[in-house]
Amino acid sequence: MFTEKVDLKDFEKQDPEYQDLLKRVLAIQADCEIGGPNLYVKNILPSAPTKLDQLIVARTAAEEMDHYRKMSRLAGDMGLDVSYVLSRSNQERYVEAFRGSIDTWEDYAVFGFLIDRVGRFQLEEFIGCTYLPLARIVEDPDVIREEEGHIDFGTNKTAEYAAKGGEAKDRIQKAVDYWYVKGLDMFGNTKSYRSERYMYWGLKRRPNAVGRAQYKEEIDGLLTKMGLAVPDPNKGRLYT
Amino acid sequence: MQPAPHTEALDQQFKEFIQALQKAVGTAMPHLKDDPKIVDQAIADCQEILDVVLEGNVKEWVA
Repeated sequence: MFTEKVDLKDFEKQDPEYQDLLKRVLAIQADCEIGGPNLYVKNILPSAPTKLDQLIVARTAAEEMDHYRKMSRLAGDMGLDVSYVLSRSNQERYVEAFRGSIDTWEDYAVFGFLIDRVGRFQLEEFIGCTYLPLARIVEDPDVIREEEGHIDFGTNKTAEYAAKGGEAKDRIQKAVDYWYVKGLDMFGNTKSYRSERYMYWGLKRRPNAVGRAQYKEEIDGLLTKMGLAVPDPNKGRLYT
Repeated sequence: MQPAPHTEALDQQFKEFIQALQKAVGTAMPHLKDDPKIVDQAIADCQEILDVVLEGNVKEWVA
């Protein structure tokens, strides 16, 4: 297990596998950060239920853009240009959940509740990691507070719709059914050689299956508390 | 180690986009109940900025 702490000036001296894995995860992370606004801004910003909601959508997009900027800067400093993710279509995104578009307020709410929550799990993987510039970003209180804000907003809106009952509850359940398996899939394959290598190099803390199980336990509890059904975790899954 | 081309320029451009969005949202928030014109203008400003960002015309930004 690699336990040294690496700063930018020592990056080029590292094992090629370490360099490749770090570049790969930064490209994916940058793609996911800018992938969110690309999913929801076009249709949700103009159609959000209230002016306050519209401003919250804009503020959320700005915060995601800043997280993209920070990841992009890390990659750029080590010689990797990830700006190609700014102009690619949603269908080309690395992670399946970011392909397509978000067209309803219910989907926007559940995206915050479930998918931003996966984002928090992913950022937690880098806490205390061996690459110091990345550890510093995810340990920045502003980044943590902003991510928690996105999750809380989505969770509260989802709970509100569930509490209304009737058609509102049916619509939010439909959105949960859609995003639930996408969230589970975002943790990747249970048997992943690459995931083991990330852990070996100190760039990841949990095996994919452990992260997924902890996430599932968290969201299943919240869904039950909201009076929503927990969807079948195996229906429509890409990765197991 | 050489950074990737345009790393600094793109970082600065994004900082400007983000600051402009934060300014628009910050201007509107206190006026949600008393001045719909200010709020509508801020939302329009946000839409305009985000349209540019999501177009992703990197070549233009670093020219």
